[in-house]
Amino acid sequence: MKFQIKRLLSQILIFFSANLGAFGLKTGFCYPFFYCHSCPTSTSACPLKAIENSVYNIKDNGIAWKLLFYPILILGFFGALTGRAICGWACPIGLLQRGTGRIARKLKKYPIVRKLGQHKIEPRLRYIKYFVFIILVVITSALIGFMFTDICPIGFLTGTIPTLILYPGKFMPNPFFWVALVIFIMFLVLIFTVEQGWCRYFCPIGALLAPFNKISILHISVDTAKCIHCNACSEVCPMGIDVPNMKRDPECILCGKCINVCSKSYITFERK
Amino acid sequence: MKKMIVIQISALLLISGGLGGMLLFTDVYEEVQSNIVLILCLSCMKLEVNTIKEFTFETANDEPHPDFVLDNLTKGPVFLHYSEKACPGCDIMYPIIKQFFNIEFEKNEMFYETVNYENSSVSYFYTNIDYSSEEMRNSLSIYDKDHVHGLPMFSVVTLGYDRGIIRPYYTSVYGTLGFDNDEERISLLTELMQESIDMYNQNWEGYNPDQQ
Repeated sequence: MKFQIKRLLSQILIFFSANLGAFGLKTGFCYPFFYCHSCPTSTSACPLKAIENSVYNIKDNGIAWKLLFYPILILGFFGALTGRAICGWACPIGLLQRGTGRIARKLKKYPIVRKLGQHKIEPRLRYIKYFVFIILVVITSALIGFMFTDICPIGFLTGTIPTLILYPGKFMPNPFFWVALVIFIMFLVLIFTVEQGWCRYFCPIGALLAPFNKISILHISVDTAKCIHCNACSEVCPMGIDVPNMKRDPECILCGKCINVCSKSYITFERK
Repeated sequence: MKKMIVIQISALLLISGGLGGMLLFTDVYEEVQSNIVLILCLSCMKLEVNTIKEFTFETANDEPHPDFVLDNLTKGPVFLHYSEKACPGCDIMYPIIKQFFNIEFEKNEMFYETVNYENSSVSYFYTNIDYSSEEMRNSLSIYDKDHVHGLPMFSVVTLGYDRGIIRPYYTSVYGTLGFDNDEERISLLTELMQESIDMYNQNWEGYNPDQQ
């Protein structure tokens, strides 16, 4: 079976297992990826919601330490084993972007898009996700309220839309709905125009998993001494990484496309 | 290379030990399950429940009314206020309810008081699901009339006439009651309380908690 087919099957299988709530399975685990517990068929909790709850209104409630460490340890467990492979092999939003990425790749043929993609500011935009996590998820929850939850496009996609379809007339928009709708439309534009755009720039769970790429047992290794710098790997990389020069890059989602495309087999998965 | 292996093994041992310990020795699994997965997050959905305040005799999960409600129905209508610690909707409604019944209590504890509302006795129960007894928490599913399982939820239990028997008759409203200002929220609560007191006054003479 081809490698990318295996990855697709893994993503589809995990998508279904994330929705076993449809058969009544509601667990007390947190997903190690981005998926909303307000989805009518969800099985587990969004790790970000557990983190938000743990620090919510810190002045009055204090910090619920176990609720803070629990999702971080779940993410850390998978992160220490496989780094951001969760993003490339398990996350349903990664699966969605795999579909929309085809359009984004076609757009890359246009010189203006290529130029924008290679702009010197592009690598800096990747830090946005760390700010999203620290400011929108942690600080605002502690001091103001659930700001990220109120506008989260993934919650809109997996929670709001299915709920409105399944229970017509039972719910009505709250004051944040329209802001969230605008952000959701921007999210759609992003994922159709930039390959894995959400993972690259905004995903707070990606921000939590990214540092684990530096120490994860499974990672992608490039034989830099033998590499002929044909750049075929960088061309196919959905995260826009300069693959020949990468060393445990925090952005790598271990999708393995670079391995498939390397005619010399100088790029491999390594387990150490 | 050896240094990296040591780091990897140490990290993995530390993380899996911590996670295993949390699952074995704390109630974090149950807390996440009951407070996040099983409670609908209206904030995450960016939605409000469409408030339908019709009263009904049928409990949401077909379980009987809890004893604390049946017993207090001898005194007057029962008002049940469900809330949780990390819940913006609950924070909006908390001061409104305190003002409405003219009572004082802490948000993060269980509270009960018989209040005087418009010259009628009303048993007020505040259930913060993070701090309440199992009986109180379970009553949330009993009165979750529209099967929302979202917080905050407010239930008013009164008495109604059902084919020859006087039975508990209740309704539940959710979230910030579908309004964005306190006046309209208070107006809806006033309407609900007035309706429930009128029904109670019509039916209380025939009520027998042992018949339920």
